[in-house]
Amino acid sequence: MIIEVDKVTMCYKMTFDRVQSLKEYLVQLLKGKIKYEEFRALNNISFCVNKGEVLGIIGHNGAGKSTLLKVISGILKPTSGSVKVNGVVVPMLELGSGFDFDLTGRENIFLNGAILGYSEQFLNEKYDEIVEFSELGSFIDVPLRNYSSGMVMRLAFSIATVVEPDILIVDEILAVGDADFQAKSKARMMELMSGGTTVLFVSHSLPQIREMCDRVLWLDHGEMKMIGDTETVCNEYEIKE
Amino acid sequence: MSNSKLIKICALAIALYVIVAVSFYFISGDQLRYSFNESAMVNASNVVGEILSSQVLEQPVKVNADEITGLGIYAATYARENSGLLNVELVSDGIVIAESKVEISGMLDNSEFYLPINASISGKDKIIVRITAPESEPGNAITLYYGNKITNPDLDESNFALINGEELDGELCLRLYTRNFLFTGKYYWLIVAVVFLALIGCGAYIVKCNAAGKATAVVNLIAAFYKYKYLIKQLVNRDFKTKYKRSVLGVLWSFLNPLLTMSVQYVIFSTLFKTDIPNFVVYLLIGVVCFNFFSEATTMALSSIIGNAALITKVYVPKYIYPLTRVMSSAINFLLALIPLFTVVIITQTPFRASFLLLPLPIICLFLVCLGIGLLLSSSMVFFRDTQFLWGVLSMLWMYATPIFYPETIIPASIMPLFKCNPLYHIIRFMRIAIIQGVSPEPKAYGLMLLSTVIPLFIGLFVFKKTQDKFVLNI
Repeated sequence: MIIEVDKVTMCYKMTFDRVQSLKEYLVQLLKGKIKYEEFRALNNISFCVNKGEVLGIIGHNGAGKSTLLKVISGILKPTSGSVKVNGVVVPMLELGSGFDFDLTGRENIFLNGAILGYSEQFLNEKYDEIVEFSELGSFIDVPLRNYSSGMVMRLAFSIATVVEPDILIVDEILAVGDADFQAKSKARMMELMSGGTTVLFVSHSLPQIREMCDRVLWLDHGEMKMIGDTETVCNEYEIKE
Repeated sequence: MSNSKLIKICALAIALYVIVAVSFYFISGDQLRYSFNESAMVNASNVVGEILSSQVLEQPVKVNADEITGLGIYAATYARENSGLLNVELVSDGIVIAESKVEISGMLDNSEFYLPINASISGKDKIIVRITAPESEPGNAITLYYGNKITNPDLDESNFALINGEELDGELCLRLYTRNFLFTGKYYWLIVAVVFLALIGCGAYIVKCNAAGKATAVVNLIAAFYKYKYLIKQLVNRDFKTKYKRSVLGVLWSFLNPLLTMSVQYVIFSTLFKTDIPNFVVYLLIGVVCFNFFSEATTMALSSIIGNAALITKVYVPKYIYPLTRVMSSAINFLLALIPLFTVVIITQTPFRASFLLLPLPIICLFLVCLGIGLLLSSSMVFFRDTQFLWGVLSMLWMYATPIFYPETIIPASIMPLFKCNPLYHIIRFMRIAIIQGVSPEPKAYGLMLLSTVIPLFIGLFVFKKTQDKFVLNI
């Protein structure tokens, strides 16, 4: 058992206007206007994921998919319940969040790699592979602010996918760059997902889910609607749509 | 974590402790063993007349100390060269407990003269200083000043000086240099040994827990350090590299900044406001360098959480890493700024002494104070963006509340306790004593400095730990 999610509930307290200054807070407090509305993003979710399994997560926008991924990767702490994770989680939520645009590509590889939790030794070994995959060539020693946006995305993708983590979290298949690179990156993703790592995979594309996943979890407004083998859940989901 | 590695780390820590404890004993010197004191001299009003071979001058003094180390006398030579010896004895209950002979020719007219004399006076509350000049003849003798009731209205008549047993109408101008034993000196090795045994005990407990698979706070801390060492290195590297990127002088600014600030303040405070602080350049530069570090580190840590919002909402990294790395990169800047400081120390010919080896201690304390306040500010910033504007004003207030460019002596006694709540006051004072006076501060200064470090650090850690789970929801 590599991931155990036990009765996880996630509540947000929502104010209608987010109070961002002390003065505002006091004014609102004096007026008695601070009202919280409780919003349950996740409600009593329990499931397990086995090692090597690819679990698909489907649901509408706002069903709580991203919240669930954030809870599992440790970014959010659940209001109640617990999550047990045995291994290294590498999130692939959004590319290039850790880049510093004043540094060169080379420096960013090490910086971003460190943020994603790679070791120094690992990065030194894989450095050439990353550069080669990103097709940046001599641009690698140029500060990132001089890159085109496509180049930045290519570099970010190359760094993020070089790993072989215990658990990979994928929020939509990432396809970046021009057509050639898109094909290449998609192939890389497929290779990663079929390579024996445990994958949590969020997608709105049912064909992709059917193609990739061993099991599927269906979330609806924070409730766990269904969990089971891919065909059953996908068919049910299609009927309800 | 493997047990052999843990044992190695524990052994290393204990060995380090032994080295530090032993070398500290020699570096801190007398300051660790004694607290020094000097009495006030009465205001001079007249001289006692030539001290001749036929005269015995006696001055009873009240004492309250363990040892006497020296005497200051206020002598006059009648503006001529005199010869012979001055004989000073300390008498207690009719017994001479110490004696010191000095050449009269070495004394200057109308000035204080220090003569070393050593005696144990613990348990005594009154001794008599007996002064004779066995070789002095009229025309070849000195005299001493004394003060009467006109210049010193609150003199005690039972303490008046005696010449050949006849009472004078005042007290001799004497200054007593005394010292008391401190328990830190008396029991130093005992304290060291107790801490040593406690450390071994702790180490053994941690290793035992680790072998049994139980996690302890120390092991978690070491494990986290190993795990995030590389990330911390990278983030500090980034901060430091981007700081001076695209500036022409680059890292030279780390040297120039404190020097220029110091120069401006030096010009202002040495010409406009005359100060009489000895070695003012070094005095000022120590304050400037320390406060610059404090203000840079806290300001950078302040925005560390909201500035890294994009990362915090996407990747799990312990959140304390962000303020920690900001403070660390400022610390590198601070260490670079020590280079111009020591250059100035050399230029002003302040002698290098063993006490310089004590400097890592205040530097570590300063770092921890910055970290504590940085943690507090960074978490407060998440919930109230007003923090950054408030801190701008507060840090300015803090600067004026720290004796950076003015002497401690101008602080009114009534608000002194307020100043002593300021951790920077203790740290900067410690550094100044170690560098300018070249001695270790008194043991009390260590205690106050450590206390004033631990309090902000723990407040910062506590607030940060309590609030960090809510960061994601507010940035």
